Amino acid sequence: MRAETWRLLAGVLVALALVLPLVPLAIWSGAHGWRYPDLLPQQWSGKAWTLALSDRGGVVESLGLTLTIAIATTALAALVGVPAGRALGLYDFRGKRLILLLLLAPAILPGIALVLGLHDLFLRLGLVGTTGGVILAHLVPVLPYMTLVMAAVFAGFDTRIEAQARSLGAGPLRTFATVTLPVILPGLLTGALFAFLVSWSQYLLTLAIGGGRVQTLPLVLYSYAAAGRNDVAGAIALIYILPGLAILLFTASRVTGRGFGAVLRP
Amino acid sequence: MLRPLAALLLLTTAATADTADGEALKAMTWDQIVEEARGGTVNWFMWGGADNINAYVSDYVAGVVQRDYGITLNRVPITDAAEIVNLILSEKEAGITETGTVDLIWINGENFRSMKDAGLAFCGHTALLPNDALVNWDNPAIANDFGVPVDGCEVPWNTVQFAFAHDSAVVAEPPRDMAGLIDWIKANPGRFTYPAPPDFTGSVFVRHVFYHAAGGPEALLGPFDQAKFDEVAGKTWEILNELEPFLWREGATYPTTVTQLNELFANGEVAFSFNYDPAQFGLAVQAGLWPETTRSFGLADGTIGNTNYTLIPFNSPNKAAAMVLQNVLLSGEAQLEKARTKVWGAAPAIDIARTSPEVQAGFAAIEAHPSVVPAEELAKAALPELQADWLTAIEQGWTVNVGN
Amino acid sequence: MTDRTRILLLLGPALVLVGGMVLSALGLALLRSLHLFPVVAPDLSAYATVLGSPGFLASLALSVWIATVSTALAAALALALALLLRRGFPGRGMVAVLVQLNLTVPHVVGAIGLLYLVSQSGAFARLAHAAGLIARPGEFPALTHDPYAIGIILTYIWKEVPFITLILLAKLQTLGEGHEQVARSLGATRWQAFRHVLLPQLAPALAAASALVFAFAFGAYEIPLILGAHAPEALPVAAWRAFTDVDLTRRPQAFAISVLVAGLGIALLLLYARLTLPQRGRHAG
Repeated sequence: MRAETWRLLAGVLVALALVLPLVPLAIWSGAHGWRYPDLLPQQWSGKAWTLALSDRGGVVESLGLTLTIAIATTALAALVGVPAGRALGLYDFRGKRLILLLLLAPAILPGIALVLGLHDLFLRLGLVGTTGGVILAHLVPVLPYMTLVMAAVFAGFDTRIEAQARSLGAGPLRTFATVTLPVILPGLLTGALFAFLVSWSQYLLTLAIGGGRVQTLPLVLYSYAAAGRNDVAGAIALIYILPGLAILLFTASRVTGRGFGAVLRP
Repeated sequence: MLRPLAALLLLTTAATADTADGEALKAMTWDQIVEEARGGTVNWFMWGGADNINAYVSDYVAGVVQRDYGITLNRVPITDAAEIVNLILSEKEAGITETGTVDLIWINGENFRSMKDAGLAFCGHTALLPNDALVNWDNPAIANDFGVPVDGCEVPWNTVQFAFAHDSAVVAEPPRDMAGLIDWIKANPGRFTYPAPPDFTGSVFVRHVFYHAAGGPEALLGPFDQAKFDEVAGKTWEILNELEPFLWREGATYPTTVTQLNELFANGEVAFSFNYDPAQFGLAVQAGLWPETTRSFGLADGTIGNTNYTLIPFNSPNKAAAMVLQNVLLSGEAQLEKARTKVWGAAPAIDIARTSPEVQAGFAAIEAHPSVVPAEELAKAALPELQADWLTAIEQGWTVNVGN
Repeated sequence: MTDRTRILLLLGPALVLVGGMVLSALGLALLRSLHLFPVVAPDLSAYATVLGSPGFLASLALSVWIATVSTALAAALALALALLLRRGFPGRGMVAVLVQLNLTVPHVVGAIGLLYLVSQSGAFARLAHAAGLIARPGEFPALTHDPYAIGIILTYIWKEVPFITLILLAKLQTLGEGHEQVARSLGATRWQAFRHVLLPQLAPALAAASALVFAFAFGAYEIPLILGAHAPEALPVAAWRAFTDVDLTRRPQAFAISVLVAGLGIALLLLYARLTLPQRGRHAG
């Protein structure tokens, strides 16, 4: 009983700690100025939310753009990462370790090690300042996660079910769609979740490759915060969190078939 | 959602009226240029740190150019104009001469000098703008941008003069000159700080101390002089280093931007803020960020003032539309609108006496915000800017000698 | 189709796209830092300037400090949290939910939120003022824009503990409690079972996750940008400032910093590989 009480206490503390940084953001989003030492704003105002949700604020546009980029990057990562994961999970071959390192590198190399070189590369390719360029660039930090997850999935994959389908006359596409895909889907969704989240939170890479023209939500959020508009920053922060949350809920229920407290149990 | 977004992307990247050829435009009449500009787009890269300025540009100005010329104004917020100079420089390096990203940039000072020197500016077209006649080019403070002749490379937008802000409820009688301020800082430890150069505002504060150490700017005007610089800089660093232990956080760290300083001021961590544009003080009070008891003042020994401008890069693909926009920005009506207290309170760059009677009446009717010291009062003790070389040297010197 | 061809086709896009971009990026950075591109004028001056400048060394030391402390504390806390969440207690579900939600919160949001929370005029300071503990913002400890980068470290801990915890929980589930129970039945205390049985089993996963966290904490830009003191700057901030300097001679220096960081990153990569790829051809998942 006592051990359980300690655990409960610790649990409460952890829960609090996880939520706490979001609280002042939420309060700020409704404040008309909030100066020290006030615990709560003297005056409340909806103007931050009005601005954030209006066309003028640039937030809604940025939200759409960031979603587009994240979804496109995820789709691209799936297209490229699923076959790569298959190769790494099913086969052994010379140079496999090296290739694994190369594909893993962007997740481990600190961002600054690659961003400057990528900017130079994209500048010469004429892709700086374009949304397409940003999507392509996002693939760099995103692909390792997709590939690793898919490699793990395919490592436990029994190719005989595919062979059976083929022997029954199904073409390669049909086999993939009806036999392979359902089996790898939970892993694919997990990989897609990681891919989405990595692209969703990119800052410096988007700043560099986007050339200041591709204003994704983290850049807009930082602009307002750096300009002292804490209220708008608070509103944007809350808006910014929502899609990731939604996708987590979606994939969690798909991955386990239950609520995502169940993700903890296999 | 994706399809209209994709369509929008395609539309914005395809120039409807690509007017990259500046020389051809300069040979045309204004009416021809306006025709070239119709339906075009202007990507205006400007500091996005003030919501009211953003609203003035995105609502009022964009509305005017859309209504009168069918031009779409795309305001692109940036944190520092140096980033954009860097971008255009990279584009020039990469051989991009007709399809640059930037059509217009809000700029002055060192950044202007960098662009002019590196041949990044579109020049020689400003006399074509009808509203150019409203500008008093005989005023050396307008004809020269931080000591560098404008030479038709940029168009004036605002004039500003540095002022301090304080909370009259906390500091009833602020110091009135630089010596007084230095004494005040030492008597009130931890209650003052300034943004670290090369932040624009921090840099100009340090220049005030520099002028103070030199006993006035007269000897410093003109081209950079290493000997004079060394002499004055030595005294300046001494003053600032002596002050350091009395600053906020004992000078262990400085705010990196004027915004951080404004937050410290808003929360009472420091007793003073300051800005090139005192209109910002009124806007901060109106937004509820600063207390209503905020008041502002200049210094008896004078504060530094300058003009800021808009500039079209050499590789802009929308020069005609950008020129039309510059003309609109210069118009009496647009300058009056931004001078309104609730909109911005920005001082005009044009000579009000040259505008129409309606516009002149409008200016006369403007009531300044109580927190904003009137521009005319500040102008009584105005100090000129130094040439950009001095600025760079002062900023670098500060980083090495004071900012450790 | 031979296996070899099949493998090439499957890996091709990934290698060409990402492998190509990564190698090109590293190559370009290297060449430009040595003044070998676009004009060949071999010159080590960028490295000399960078390595000789006290600013760079201070930034490097700061980034190493931030990454080390963040990783060590995050790993320790994550271990504790994983052990906590292993067994049931009222509210465990809620905590599990929040741990996963935290993963979806981008770093920028965490940094700004933490700034509003722990700055000298932030939420905690105001609570302290309301409780009568302090009278002025200056009396509250300086946790942001401070020389020890406490705010930055707190942000990394806040963001990375859930990440490491989930990895450990997954590993704990595959391990099961069998080994510890055997140890306990043989007379080991709880602590001994943990120290000598469980910890060694968790160590590879913990170390691998820590390597990832270290790399991130070392190389992230936006968190020190928001929470850091003005000098010394964290290395990524210093590098980006050098890169965007109007003075073009700083560009090769920025690339030099990037190359040096890449060197460190490759060392981390090899370490991570050793921890997670124990045998040739086998993928530990």
